[in-house]
Amino acid sequence: MPIETPRYEREPARRVFAAELREATYHFKDGEDEKSPTYVLLPTGERCNRVLFIGSMTHKEKKGEQNVFYQVRVADPTGTFFLNASQYQQEAMTQISKIEPPAFVAVVGKPSVYEAPDGRVFVSVRAESVTVVDKEMRNCWVLDAGEQTLKRIEAYGQTTDSQRAKERYNADMTVYKKMAYEALTQITL
Amino acid sequence: MNVEIDPALAEKKLRTLVEEFGVNIPEAEKTVTENLAKEHKLSAVPSQSSDLREIGTLLPGEWATIEGKVVGLSRPRSESISQSGIIADGSGAIQFVAWARSNLPPLAEGRSYRFESVVVDEYRGVPKISFHSGTTITEIEKDILYLPEATKIAEIKPGIASVRVKMVQEWEARHERILQTGIVGDETGTVKFTIWKEEGAERLEPETVYNIFYATVDEYQGRLSLTLNGAKCFPDEEGEITVGTGAMTTTGVIVSVGTGSGLVKRCPVEGCNRVLSKRNYCPVHEVQNDFRYDLRIKAVLDDGVKAHNILMQKEVVEAVAGLTLEDAVKIVQESPLGMDDIFYHLRDALMGRYYACRGGDLGDTLLVKECVPIGFDRDRHAALLNRLGGEINAN
Repeated sequence: MPIETPRYEREPARRVFAAELREATYHFKDGEDEKSPTYVLLPTGERCNRVLFIGSMTHKEKKGEQNVFYQVRVADPTGTFFLNASQYQQEAMTQISKIEPPAFVAVVGKPSVYEAPDGRVFVSVRAESVTVVDKEMRNCWVLDAGEQTLKRIEAYGQTTDSQRAKERYNADMTVYKKMAYEALTQITL
Repeated sequence: MNVEIDPALAEKKLRTLVEEFGVNIPEAEKTVTENLAKEHKLSAVPSQSSDLREIGTLLPGEWATIEGKVVGLSRPRSESISQSGIIADGSGAIQFVAWARSNLPPLAEGRSYRFESVVVDEYRGVPKISFHSGTTITEIEKDILYLPEATKIAEIKPGIASVRVKMVQEWEARHERILQTGIVGDETGTVKFTIWKEEGAERLEPETVYNIFYATVDEYQGRLSLTLNGAKCFPDEEGEITVGTGAMTTTGVIVSVGTGSGLVKRCPVEGCNRVLSKRNYCPVHEVQNDFRYDLRIKAVLDDGVKAHNILMQKEVVEAVAGLTLEDAVKIVQESPLGMDDIFYHLRDALMGRYYACRGGDLGDTLLVKECVPIGFDRDRHAALLNRLGGEINAN
């Protein structure tokens, strides 16, 4: 057998609707190393270290005094993504500062799970890049996210990650099918 | 893996089978060997039989007897090796190594031999056979003659392969021991080749078709390459091959535009072409103020399952971004941001958008020949709605 040389592979950006990402509260690290990637587990059964979504930026707010950061909301047909960018995401902050809501934006970022002091758990996305796009690209993304969500649903139960998701969330796949269907019906040309 | 076994115990088991149960000797041997292997958790049972084997069927870990013709000799890279080269029969070909300490007589190219008790092992995924002190080599009269069939480039595997290819590109040798390196290809794709400097080694002529017998196929970090030392290369002056680019199309969203994208300055020294630093410094030719400008994009095209590295050169960048090199140079000269202006311009134009990129695979990067923006597909939308709607109603 050829000698396996570990090579750096960039994590793909998963297409996931807001209503599903909101439920992805179980997170884990793959490997013991400090630099091992962390993932949230999607209820439809796939690990996710990075997401891509295209939606409408509805709100942005600059916060903090010395350590300025942005909190942004981006809506898709199923719900709302909570996006943030701090000074560690300098480029994304600069991009956000120039965007006036409402606007269609394409967001690449890393999901993470937060626990509020009152015990509530919620998922937000740390922005890597936020770019203004047009409505057609938004429609393309809704279609793409619909297709990829259905693919995950179809593989549900057959992969290690989806068996893990079943144990953690035991989500009803028909709910997610319905979510994707309704998102697709909301595409207006 | 080495396992110690008790010969007395093995003999006792053999005697039981043969003497008490009347089992024939080969079957008894096989049974005892298999049981021992199982006992020691060995997955494969190396065949030790003296039956003649075909070269194409040899597996690493086996001991075997073969008959074959020495079709190539190459200069050993180490003093502990007395001879190395390639042995072929009708079923295939394999590299061989004769260790100096085994004191075997040298083999002659073009002659056929019987090799008894050779060891099959592998190095970096390439199978090869070794001769040791227990190997018996006898020259045989029968000439094992045949012409190996050419393998398509898209189908070659580590080991030995014969190919029919055209030399399409010559690269600058980066190592003083390299005589020539570049790209050869056939209709199915292209592969890197290397010829190391040694006595008798000859260069390939560009744009010429060759029948190459017994090239060594190596694999390094998942990429294959051919070594032609020890191989036989015959030019076919009448031959013509339309080399395939191994073109592939990937569809996805651009999720990253890398640093080093945009307007770059290139070293003007002939054959160099390296990208200069902001202060016009070439890592090889130092400061070059007579540089030439170029446009390129290094980006990531993500289909949701895999992130593909892509590289676009000037013509593709100009077409996809609607910005010519001349305009880019003009913008840079007037912009307070300088070269960065073009980087931001391209990033804002491409990021978060869907594209279909067609091009050639450079191993870990797609060299894009054509990049087409993708718009909304009503048919795909309608099909998905029907499918999901139907399934939901069925539930």
